[in-house]
Amino acid sequence: MSNKSTAAATAFEQLKQKAAGTWNTLRDKPLIMVGAATCGRAAGAQDITKVIRDELASRQIEATVIEVGCMGHCYAEPLVLIQKPDNPTICYGYVSEGLASMLVREFIAGDDPCIEFALAAMEVNDFIPTFEDFPRGMVEKKVVMQHCGIIDPENIDHYIANGGYEALAKAIDKSGEEVVSEIKTSGLRGRGGAGFPTGVKWETCRQFKEDVKYVICNADEGDPGAFMDRTLLESNPHQVLEGLALAAHAVGASKGYLYIRAEYPLAVERIKKAINQAEESGLLGESILGTDFNLTLEIFQGSGAFVCGEETALIASMEGEPGIPRHRPPFPAEAGLWGKPTVINNVKTLSYIPHIIRKGADWFRETGTPDSPGTAVFALAGKVINTGLVEVPMGVTLSQLVYDVGSGIDGGKQFKAVQIGGPSGGCLPESFLETAIDFDSLNQAGAMMGSGGMVVMDEDDCMVEIARYFLDFTQNESCGKCTFCRLGTKQMLEILERITKGEGALEDIDTLLNLAKNVKTGSLCNLGKTAPNPVLSTLKHFRNEYEAHITEGRCPSLMCLNLIAYYILPDKCERSCDACIGSCPVESIFSNEDRIKVVDQEKCVKCKSCMDACPPQYSAVVKLSPPELVQEKENDNG
Amino acid sequence: MGKKINLTIDGKKIQAMEGDKILWAALENDIYIPHLCAMKEQQQSPFAGCRLCFIEIEGKPRPVAACTEPALEGMVVNTRSESIDRLVEAGFNLIMSNHHIDCKICAASGACELQKIAKERKIRLKPKKLVQLDRNLPKDHSKDCIIYDPNKCVLCGRCVTACRTEGTAVLGLAYRGFERMVTTFGDIPLGETDCSGCGSCANVCPAGALIETDN
Amino acid sequence: MKLTNEEKTAAIETSQRILSNYNQEKGSLIPTLQQIQNELGYVPSPAMEVVADHFNVMKVDVYSIVTFYNQFRLTPPGKNQVKVCMGTACHMRGGNIIMDSWKRRLEIDCGETSEDREFSLDRVACVGCCTQAPVTVINEEIHAKVTPTRVEGLLYAYQLDKDKENKKAGEDN
Ligand SMILES: Cc1cc2nc3c(=O)[nH]c(=O)nc-3n(C[C@H](O)[C@H](O)[C@H](O)COP(=O)(O)O)c2cc1C
Ligand code: FES
Ligand code: FES
Repeated sequence: MSNKSTAAATAFEQLKQKAAGTWNTLRDKPLIMVGAATCGRAAGAQDITKVIRDELASRQIEATVIEVGCMGHCYAEPLVLIQKPDNPTICYGYVSEGLASMLVREFIAGDDPCIEFALAAMEVNDFIPTFEDFPRGMVEKKVVMQHCGIIDPENIDHYIANGGYEALAKAIDKSGEEVVSEIKTSGLRGRGGAGFPTGVKWETCRQFKEDVKYVICNADEGDPGAFMDRTLLESNPHQVLEGLALAAHAVGASKGYLYIRAEYPLAVERIKKAINQAEESGLLGESILGTDFNLTLEIFQGSGAFVCGEETALIASMEGEPGIPRHRPPFPAEAGLWGKPTVINNVKTLSYIPHIIRKGADWFRETGTPDSPGTAVFALAGKVINTGLVEVPMGVTLSQLVYDVGSGIDGGKQFKAVQIGGPSGGCLPESFLETAIDFDSLNQAGAMMGSGGMVVMDEDDCMVEIARYFLDFTQNESCGKCTFCRLGTKQMLEILERITKGEGALEDIDTLLNLAKNVKTGSLCNLGKTAPNPVLSTLKHFRNEYEAHITEGRCPSLMCLNLIAYYILPDKCERSCDACIGSCPVESIFSNEDRIKVVDQEKCVKCKSCMDACPPQYSAVVKLSPPELVQEKENDNG
Repeated sequence: MGKKINLTIDGKKIQAMEGDKILWAALENDIYIPHLCAMKEQQQSPFAGCRLCFIEIEGKPRPVAACTEPALEGMVVNTRSESIDRLVEAGFNLIMSNHHIDCKICAASGACELQKIAKERKIRLKPKKLVQLDRNLPKDHSKDCIIYDPNKCVLCGRCVTACRTEGTAVLGLAYRGFERMVTTFGDIPLGETDCSGCGSCANVCPAGALIETDN
Repeated sequence: MKLTNEEKTAAIETSQRILSNYNQEKGSLIPTLQQIQNELGYVPSPAMEVVADHFNVMKVDVYSIVTFYNQFRLTPPGKNQVKVCMGTACHMRGGNIIMDSWKRRLEIDCGETSEDREFSLDRVACVGCCTQAPVTVINEEIHAKVTPTRVEGLLYAYQLDKDKENKKAGEDN
């Protein structure tokens, strides 16, 4: 490339200077950032913002308050970041309304940064540790989440000031072919589940000499326990748009869509704003940055069907049809939306693109493993202490995620398994804790990278029940077109329901295994082909739990409602306490002649209220399995 | 005119039109492959839902559906093998676990594709290890020339296509998953729709769910 | 379910108004249905007929779409929409027990509307507040860490609100 700056480069330089101006003036006075993505909002972030604004107003303090996205530390929501001139930026967690006004009073108005409430500092300093000083920070490596939670997602200048749209400005002067080749060299694999090489997909699409082509961002995130894509859309919408624009430039498309899940209203709103801002700045729309590259982006909202995440079903629904997958080939890259060559990529995949173009394929390959370069984003949930979103290099082990990032199991319980990949993934037991997290190792272990949902389970979680739960989900979400998925998952679910109710037979396990195998081979699309994974993996690693349900009518984890009973230990019951009686929603607990509380098993709906209500110093309520044990206990007590 | 190509199915050398799917190449040469949903007119965008037409192609690691796989020059295909037979049987069993079986009084008996598959592949009509997934939906007698029993429907979708090409397009596939069914707008009885009674749906129904009566 | 004449007219007029902003390209079919659903709370037959007409597709094809996607309802929702999260995290913290509590208290099944049309009960899959599990969304408000006792409390609060409203309405008259 010559040093002579092109028209596009000049145009972009102007945008950059303006953005730098906005960004730098932010630093002149105190800046308060409230994490207000959906997770933060649920924890009350908007009330916190209001308290802060009111408190500032009543004290007539000049400060900027902005709502930012999510940093991933969801366990500590609501989160507030304060940047005061001459101080490091400090992140506070578990912010209540009281703490919020105190921070304004003591730190903004006064001088006391209230260190005792700080989670960590954002920059290295002498008195507060940074996130990198904690085990979680040592494992984490942020690429696509780098700016989530520290820039205003509704302000394009914040994105540009942090390197945003530089990749587009750079690529627009190159040919699409060069962009494709850079992505190919980077080895980036699709983060939507299957891990297909993105560069190869783009190359296929690019080859077709058609006038009309489409690029689509798949933001239909349907895994019932994952919200990485939503967070990226809400916290850094421009990053996705830039990725989509680069994809369009690479394959020669001038029309793009973002297919966003129905339940994500905030994401839709933020993407809409971002598209408008980018168009106003000449980064989208007609003749982008003064070149002959045009791209219009539109939002298409899903209507609530998990299967629409599957690319051919997604296309069907955009064409005004029920979301029913069709046979591939042809692949969308050859014949997609309205029969035209179409590139479909996941939100995360697209979010990596600007970084790769800006910093180069070699930079990208420095992180991760040779076959799965880069980082992985997970929604860590379940029984770990620190839940939330994490971004780690591919290749870290499961145990690092559970113990370093998640800080181990909640409540001193015993780790049992981790479920990866949601409804299409599998459960891995303790012996797999050293498994590396990358596409191929997980596949080999019988799980799947899938969408990035990761649920940690402890001794109280029943593996049969978790298999039943996921199968119930896929069975419910099956489109119903093909025999194996429609009826095979239904038959499997029937069996699992029998087992969790204690009505199973040992030969059911063989039938289940056979069904699972056939549904995997016979189904038309990957929904069916992967639906048996949760069952297969639990059967492989926790067959003893299935057998306990079947032969003993016992749920070892005391979870399956039909196989447990609540029982009040007479010698522990404190007679003068009535806490359990009051807590029971169906009046199933009564006081006997000795004023000891007894559960009427006929009436009990097993809602666990009494167990939660019983003061911890007595802990008189216990669960028994099989439920027949109650009779035994009662006989023992005479 | 399309070009003719040569391939081998079950050891038999046959010819097919280039671009034809293996299923049609086989059927037209008297080699039976179980199938419920395929329609030749639509072979370029096959429905591929019944999942009974599995075959093996030499050089491919996994079984493929014959209705989606184009016949190519020199291809070697097997319609029978232990693993194929097991897969087809499993699919057939699933369909039968959701098909109301009353062959003794069923008007389609004798002309039923399900009976034919059972006979060809020596599979019991009533599957052994699966529970019967009856939905007990009401039969539709509202039209005097057609009886529709959704409990026999195998969701092949052929009637919907036929109703569009030859009839008045009142039939469609609605709902999702296990609830999916062939039905009309608002689930109203056929007699209250614009159905002309042409009977083309019954003609293509492989399972006796739609029956033309003499009225 | 039978629609009243007013409901029918409202359905037709709303649909026509919405459709006047759209061309006849089939890609707009689902977005128009979504908008009808948003405004009316459901997609009744007369609306589907208007839509089919506009896009020149078979009525039954519109019906296929409406019955396929979770988002569309064929019957009006309750005044208060209770949605219980059945996502993975909520499930593991007893989401089904919370669902049972709602069913028991509202005396309706999941997917149904109470007879007085005050409540409807639905399930959702993860609303993204997994750390606050189990979660129930009432109208647009998210309630965290719900217990069976909390269900009683929420209903009680609703009853109080309603009494207040009734009282106010009584006074206004
Ligand atoms: C049942 C099913 C659901 C899916 N859901 C999603 C989803 O929510 N988001 C997504 O990006 N990909 C999803 N996929 C994968 C897509 O079909 C497709 O592979 C992906 O969007 C390609 O993008 P990538 O190459 O960037 O991964 C799903 C696939 C199946 C079979
Ligand atoms: S005939 Fe091939 S799937 Fe039905
Ligand atoms: S599972 Fe309920 S909020 Fe995520």
